[in-house]
Amino acid sequence: MKKSLFKAIIMICCILSLCACGKTGGETTSGTASEGAKEIKIAYQYGLAYAPLVVCQEKKMIEEAYRKATGKEVTVTWTQMSSGADINTGIAAGELSVGFMGVAPAISGVSKSVGYKIFTNLSGQEHGMMSNDGSINSLADLAGSEAQIALVNIGSIQHIILGKALSDNGYDAHLLDANIVAMKHPDGMAALESGSVACHLTSSPYIFREHENAELHEIPEINAAWPVRNSFIVGVASTELHDQDPELYAALCSAISEAIDYLNSNKEEVASMTCEYDGNSAEDELKYLEKGVYTPDTKGVYELSGFMYENGFIENAFSAYSDLVFENVKGD
Amino acid sequence: MKKKESHLRSILIRVVYVLCLMAIWEYVARSGMLGPRSALIFPSLEQIAAAFVKNFVRGYAGTSLWIYIINSMKLLLTGLAIGIILAFIFSGISMVSYTFRKIFDFTVSICDLLPGIALLPVVIIIFGVRREVIVFLVVHAVLWPMSRNMLDGFSSTPRIYVEAGRNMGLRGMRLILGVYIPAAASYIVSGLKSGWARAWRGLISAEMIFGIASSPGIGLFINQMRTNMNNAEMYATLLVIIIIGVIVQYGILRPIEICTVRKWGMSK
Repeated sequence: MKKSLFKAIIMICCILSLCACGKTGGETTSGTASEGAKEIKIAYQYGLAYAPLVVCQEKKMIEEAYRKATGKEVTVTWTQMSSGADINTGIAAGELSVGFMGVAPAISGVSKSVGYKIFTNLSGQEHGMMSNDGSINSLADLAGSEAQIALVNIGSIQHIILGKALSDNGYDAHLLDANIVAMKHPDGMAALESGSVACHLTSSPYIFREHENAELHEIPEINAAWPVRNSFIVGVASTELHDQDPELYAALCSAISEAIDYLNSNKEEVASMTCEYDGNSAEDELKYLEKGVYTPDTKGVYELSGFMYENGFIENAFSAYSDLVFENVKGD
Repeated sequence: MKKKESHLRSILIRVVYVLCLMAIWEYVARSGMLGPRSALIFPSLEQIAAAFVKNFVRGYAGTSLWIYIINSMKLLLTGLAIGIILAFIFSGISMVSYTFRKIFDFTVSICDLLPGIALLPVVIIIFGVRREVIVFLVVHAVLWPMSRNMLDGFSSTPRIYVEAGRNMGLRGMRLILGVYIPAAASYIVSGLKSGWARAWRGLISAEMIFGIASSPGIGLFINQMRTNMNNAEMYATLLVIIIIGVIVQYGILRPIEICTVRKWGMSK
C-alpha cells in the first residue's frame, strides 16, 4: 500500500513538472518571438467571404509589407479553422495572434475580454432566408408557427440577423429561437431542398445557389435587416500584437488592405485563384465575388453590438465604437 | 471482512486519484501558466462549481440544463433500447441461418467503420429534420459494436454446449435463449459497456452538429457555451456528462455484470 502510494506521488510530481514546462506567465510566441525568428499565426475560415486572404496568402503580402517597412523577415502561418469559437480560444490561449470570423462572434469575444479587438473589416456578403413553403412569405407567417428554420449555429451572425429582422419588424428578437435547427450551410441547403425544413437562413454563396432554385422563394425581411454593405467577416488582432509589435501590426493592416484592393481591381484573376477552394466554377466564382462588398472599413458593427446587448446575446455593453476596434479602423 | 477491506481500498484509491486530478487542475488554473487569459480558457474549480449551479438554476436563455439533460436522455435511451434489441435479433438470427450470418457479419464489418456524423447529410435527407435523426445516430453507434461482440460470443460458444442443447430438443429461438445467450454472457456485457459509451459519445457529437432548438440536448448546450466563450459553463457541462456516465457504469452496468457473468463464474 505504502509502495503504491509512493509511486502515485512520484507520478503526480512528474505530471506537475511537465505542466510547468508549458508557457510561463503571459508570454506569447506569436508575433513577439525573438529577432530573426519572427512568426505570426493567423486563423481564418472557409468560403467566399475570406477571398482577400487567399490573395494575401498566395502573394505573400504580409511578408512583403513587413520586409519593405523594416528590412526584416517574418514567417506567416495560416490555419483554417471551422468556427469563430475555436479561433477565440486560440487567441485567448496565446496560440494565435490574428483571426478572421463573423462579426457576431468577434463582438462576443471582445465583450468576453478574449484579448483582441477588430483591426479590419474584410467583407460584406448577401444573407437571406429561403423557404419551400408557399404559405410562408414573411416573418408574420412564421410568428407562432412550428416551421423549422435551419441556420448555421445558435449565436452565429445568421442567428443574430434573424433576431434583428424580428426586432426591426416589431417582434421579440427571440421569438423564433425554438424554431431553429442548427446545421452547417450545405446540410441546411440539402434539408431545405429535400423539404425536411421549411426555411434556411444562409449567406453567400449558398443563398445564390438557392436563388437559382425555382421551387424556393425568399423571405424579404432578412436581407433588409443586414444588407450586403454591412460588415460580415472582420479581422481581429491580439492586443499583444498591437501593443508590443506595432511594425508587424502595421504591416498586417496594410497587407490586408492591399489584398482587398487587389481583389477589387482584379476580380477575374482572383476568381480563378479562389474557385478551387470554394468548389465553384471560375464563372460562378466571379459572379459571386461581384456580389460581395470587400472593404477594410466596417459598417454597422457598433449598432450590432448595441442590439446584441439589448437582446441578451452578450452580457456587457460597449460605450463607444473605439471599445470594439483598434484606432486605425474606419467605419461605424 | 477481507472483501469489505478490499472494497474500501478500491474506493480510497479512486477518491485519492480524483483529488489528485483536481489538485493538478487547480494548480494549472491558478498558476497562470496558460497565459494572461488563463482564467477565461482554463477556469478554476471554484468558477466551474459556480457555473455548475448556474447551469441548472439559470441555464441558457432561460432554459435550465435539466431540460437539455432530459431531452438527451430520452433520445439516448430510445436509441440504446432499439440498438440492443436489434443487435439481439440480428445476432440471434445469424446463429440459425448461415446465409444471414454471412451477410450480417459483412454488414457489421462495413458499418462499424462509418462515423455516424459523416452519415448526417444522408440521414437528414431520408428522415428529415427530426429528433429521430439523433435516435438513428445513437442506434448506429450501438448496434454494430454490440452485434460484433454478440457474434463473437455466439461463435465462441463451445460446440459441446450447442450439441447438448440440441440433444435436449432445443431448436431455433429456444437454442439461442437457452444456450447461446448464457454462454456468451460475458461478451454481451462487454458489448453493452462499449455500446453505452459509443452511444453517449455519438449522441453528444450529433447534438453538437445538429441542434434542434425546440428539443435541445446537452450537445447543443455545450456548443452554445463554446460559441459564447462561457468556458466554465462548458466544463461544468462536461462534468455532468461524466457524472451521468459514472452513474450508469456503476449503478446499472456493474450490477448487471454482478448478477450475470460474475454470479455464473465467468469472470473475476
